[in-house]
Amino acid sequence: MIVQLLGLFARRLLVAIPILLVVSALVFVVLRVLPVDPAAMSMPPNATKAEIEMKRQEMGLDRPLPEQYAIWLGQTLKGDLGTSIHFRRAVSSLIAETLPATIELAALAMLIAAVLGFAGGLLLFHLRGTLRGEAADLGSTVLMSAPDFLWGLMFILAFGVVWPLLPFTGRLASSFARPVHTGFLILDTLIEGRPDMFLDALKHMVLPATALGLAFSVPIMRVLRSSLYEIDHADYIRQARLRGVSEGRILLRHALKNAILPTLTLMGVQFGFLFGGTLLIEVIYSYPGLGNLMVDAVRNADLPIIQAVALAYAAVVLLINMIVDGLYLVLNPRLRTA
Amino acid sequence: MTSSVLAAENLAVESRLHDGRRLPVLSGISFALEAGKVLGLVGESGAGKSMIGRAVAQLLPPGFSVAGGSLAFAGRDLVRMGVQARRQLLGREIAFIPQEPLSALNPVMTIGAQFGEHLARLGITSQMRRREEARAMLEAVHLPRAAELLRQFPHELSGGMCQRVLIAMAFASRPKLVIADEPTTALDATIQARIIGLMGEMRDAYGAALMFITHDLRLAAEFCDEIVVLYAGRAVEKGEARKLLSSPLHPYTRCLQLAVPSLSAPERELFTLPGEMPGLARLGALEGCRFAPRCPNVGEICRKEEPKLLAVAPSREAACFRTELTLAIETLNQAAPASPKRTAPLLRVDGLKKRYVSRRGLFGSTDVLAIDDVSFAVAENEFVGVVGESGSGKSTLAKLIIGLERPSSGRIELCGQDAFDRSEAARRRRIETAQMVFQDPQSALNPRRRAASIVTQVLEAAAPRLSLNERQQRAEELLAEVGLSAELGGRYPSQLSGGQKQRVNIARALCAAPKLLIADEIVSGLDVSVQAQLIALLHRLRRELSFALLFISHDLAVVRKLCERVLVMWRGKVVEEGLTAQVFATPQHPYTRELVGASNTGRIANSE
Amino acid sequence: MGKRFLKKELAFLRSGRVIVGVALVGIVVSCALFAPFLAPHDPEEQNLITTLLPPAWSAGGDPAYLLGTDSLGRDVLSRLLYGARVAMTVAVAASFGAMLIGSTLAHLAGYFGGKVDWLIGRAVDVWMSFPPVVLSLVLMTGLGAGISSVILAIVLVDWTRFCRVLRAEVLVTRRQDYVAAARLVGFSHWRTLTREILPATMPLLITLLSIEMGIAVIVEAILSFVGMSVGANQSAWGQMIADARQTLYESGWNLVLPMLAIFVTVLGFNLLGDGLRRTLDPRLLQAREL
Repeated sequence: MIVQLLGLFARRLLVAIPILLVVSALVFVVLRVLPVDPAAMSMPPNATKAEIEMKRQEMGLDRPLPEQYAIWLGQTLKGDLGTSIHFRRAVSSLIAETLPATIELAALAMLIAAVLGFAGGLLLFHLRGTLRGEAADLGSTVLMSAPDFLWGLMFILAFGVVWPLLPFTGRLASSFARPVHTGFLILDTLIEGRPDMFLDALKHMVLPATALGLAFSVPIMRVLRSSLYEIDHADYIRQARLRGVSEGRILLRHALKNAILPTLTLMGVQFGFLFGGTLLIEVIYSYPGLGNLMVDAVRNADLPIIQAVALAYAAVVLLINMIVDGLYLVLNPRLRTA
Repeated sequence: MTSSVLAAENLAVESRLHDGRRLPVLSGISFALEAGKVLGLVGESGAGKSMIGRAVAQLLPPGFSVAGGSLAFAGRDLVRMGVQARRQLLGREIAFIPQEPLSALNPVMTIGAQFGEHLARLGITSQMRRREEARAMLEAVHLPRAAELLRQFPHELSGGMCQRVLIAMAFASRPKLVIADEPTTALDATIQARIIGLMGEMRDAYGAALMFITHDLRLAAEFCDEIVVLYAGRAVEKGEARKLLSSPLHPYTRCLQLAVPSLSAPERELFTLPGEMPGLARLGALEGCRFAPRCPNVGEICRKEEPKLLAVAPSREAACFRTELTLAIETLNQAAPASPKRTAPLLRVDGLKKRYVSRRGLFGSTDVLAIDDVSFAVAENEFVGVVGESGSGKSTLAKLIIGLERPSSGRIELCGQDAFDRSEAARRRRIETAQMVFQDPQSALNPRRRAASIVTQVLEAAAPRLSLNERQQRAEELLAEVGLSAELGGRYPSQLSGGQKQRVNIARALCAAPKLLIADEIVSGLDVSVQAQLIALLHRLRRELSFALLFISHDLAVVRKLCERVLVMWRGKVVEEGLTAQVFATPQHPYTRELVGASNTGRIANSE
Repeated sequence: MGKRFLKKELAFLRSGRVIVGVALVGIVVSCALFAPFLAPHDPEEQNLITTLLPPAWSAGGDPAYLLGTDSLGRDVLSRLLYGARVAMTVAVAASFGAMLIGSTLAHLAGYFGGKVDWLIGRAVDVWMSFPPVVLSLVLMTGLGAGISSVILAIVLVDWTRFCRVLRAEVLVTRRQDYVAAARLVGFSHWRTLTREILPATMPLLITLLSIEMGIAVIVEAILSFVGMSVGANQSAWGQMIADARQTLYESGWNLVLPMLAIFVTVLGFNLLGDGLRRTLDPRLLQAREL
């Protein structure tokens, strides 16, 4: 199985590289049709035309598009993602600062989504055919109509303003000096041996992560419910009943193991979306991650950042898909031996 | 009475509709099954035979319930037994063998895990002992490499192996009663014979009573001690198995017996029962004998009064007023089909090969030769059968000839012209020359089109400007040709019965008046009486329309009935070819011999 | 027979979900259409004396401003009504655009398979590696702000939703023998696609379209929230939320009302989609008829 997993990852990487190339090329082209001139934006407003033109040459904006892309690609491969026009800092260091924050937040949100999704799916299945089940089903449709950022705003209003229970800005209370080891605050506070700081960091993540997790748990529970429902009519479930296997055991040992597979396929897609969902949640919670960096860059037409951040999002999504595919392989014997 | 393992007394099952109406699914079913005996429940689909097995487990479909009578297991009332008490019996004292072995095992659990779970429930606590016991049971059902098998997943096993595993699991608890619902229907003929043999062997070894539910009267007669024949929710005949088949008392049993084509009996026409068994929805409104509308011996009384199942002879019961007339139902001897004049071949297949590439693992890929160097010819008006088991390549052959797939090499000629010319004109020509009838009408008929629209699809493509009236007229002609009333043309496929769907399926292919019809398993999966009707239909169409038929089937007896020449396929090759009568009477190739041998089960009872 | 046919085809109207969905969507659409007649004030009219008024029924409310005013003293009700115009325009235009591109590619990929399928499949892979929000932000950067850019961005992002889901459905239908049979009786590819396959995928397509309208409303709200949709002199729900965030502690109402508007609209489309799926899905249909 390990050999097969490694094989799968190798194949996935082989596919991911051309995808990332195409993604970067696409972003590059889209950003070059921009109505604003990034060279002019990076200059003081009183700069002359000649000065701006010089800047354009300096930034390489006067060269043909393919050449610009080739230069950018060459530098990117060397690890040089360019310099931010607005922040005047290396883009790579900006991303190194923000990416762990976003991954941390997304990971917690995914955990919440998975736990809520599975619990909800089992509950919906358990209540099937009853009036309460019908109501729960309708409830899930209602829940699904509130997107993540509405949950985020609602939580701020409810648990930040009306009942001020939890913090809703940033990653850490300003009274703490942020330790820097890995960039992942949860880990760093533990490495420092500061449980109080760890708790504070966690408190800051509760609202945004729950908002995200809740929004993305609904599709998971609905797919799990309908897969369980379908599998309940399968021959092997009937045969297990005819063998006298108890209902609880049938659900947990026989049905769930099969229903996980279609649910997992959906989770791959959903978690990609969830990772994108961090963008707006970060903005709402002033959470210093990739999303805030992106939105600032978009407002400032900071092309090097937009390019690099978009690529970072794509890379993480491909990684998520790879992990989900790996899980699928582990859980589905038909894939392993076919 | 006390010795009965399973006893039913006036058992009735009903279905409650949404509007509160109740439909009798089964009524007045009585039987007693003793230890070590085999009871056969025989009937066509919808007769209610599976409901009895499901009633034992109380796993009836939603809305169905036992409405009256009693069902007792070893003297204990199963109907009024609580859920927990019944679950204690299931898997321990009552075991089930399923219809679809491949889907009856959990695909994500190893055989060992599933067997182990079952044994743990039976009270074997040590894992070591569970493994030992599982291995012993798998060896008892003659599965080789039992230890290795326990580590495998169901998809790595064949259907026959899965069924052996399930039989081993069923007998592991030394049950008093084993219920097998069509346990061999999904399997190939050669495997079918072995599974039946195995069940008999296990019954002898463990002394269980066996309830065998099947649509196959001959198979039941050979395997069972006693048979109950069911028709439209009623037991119409009951009696000792061999006698029941050799001298049926109820006209329905007699008609069934005469409707099954045989591989060895002298050539006679199949008996075709008119109409169809009444569906569930009509059962409530019936008056008199339920078989009366189709019965060749129907009398005045049959339409007024419903006959009771009464003893007619020692250990023989029948529900019929006129049993003395039953054996008079006969069919004519069939005149040997006139061999058509040898003309230039209509279809000529030469050196045909089809290779599929299947990826295996990371790097390797293996080639599968689905069709391996096949050559043959079909003359005008000739009916040629292609027989073989699943995976022999016979369906691939059909797809290649009709052009749904392209061959890897070789040549196919229709009317002397290359069938693989990719030009539009060649495509038109092929459409006019050859048509195909697909196996599964469920999938072959667009559920969103009405029957009349389906049968005239050829016109829609060839003459899109045809008026609705003209199209309707042609549709009615075609429907009449396949024996359907014009009124059915307005129905959607979901509103048609299985037999009617297959007729629509045939009518569509006939619309272009093709010279060659390719039919892939078009009578398999249908009930015997419907199958006999379709065979009769093909005979009649042949006389009226004149076309050649390439008839693909796994059922040798049906091919013998219909085709004058036969090709036997095995692993993509044609291993034997010749006149049907000759090939089946004196098979030369060992595979043909095995196939003929397996198809002859039931001969013993038949020749008495 | 004609009457019975009609009854069967229109059975979906009897579903409770569909009725509630149609009602909710109907309300929002009428608000959008008749905003100029319904709105009590000019949505952009500022009145710096009456800023942050609570709704009329609570203490300190002004009956002239039924749902209160925002930080610039603009009437919230009027802004909500005009915001519905933006939301509905985007919902309808963007979802039809995405449906046209996505379902066309899905049918081509699923029907023809082989290289066409491979190419379209890889394009979907590339698109799916972008979270939708990120891709639409990148596109908006390139296209510039404005409602037509929002529509175009949603079309360019969300065609994959249709393509992915419908392709699977086309593949299922393609494997049915009746499609092969249609080719064998002489149907052209075009006729086979439109007469045999499209009717089978239509229920799913309609369902997806309804759900996509809800998604488009959300995306428009997101983009106007980050200030990339309509200009500052026009009302949009997302913009109202962004404004209200600044005065979170003073007036929760300003935040809650546009959120409620978004939620109700999306709920309407989702109920409609869910109800349609239940009534139009042939597999569910068969199970119910048995």
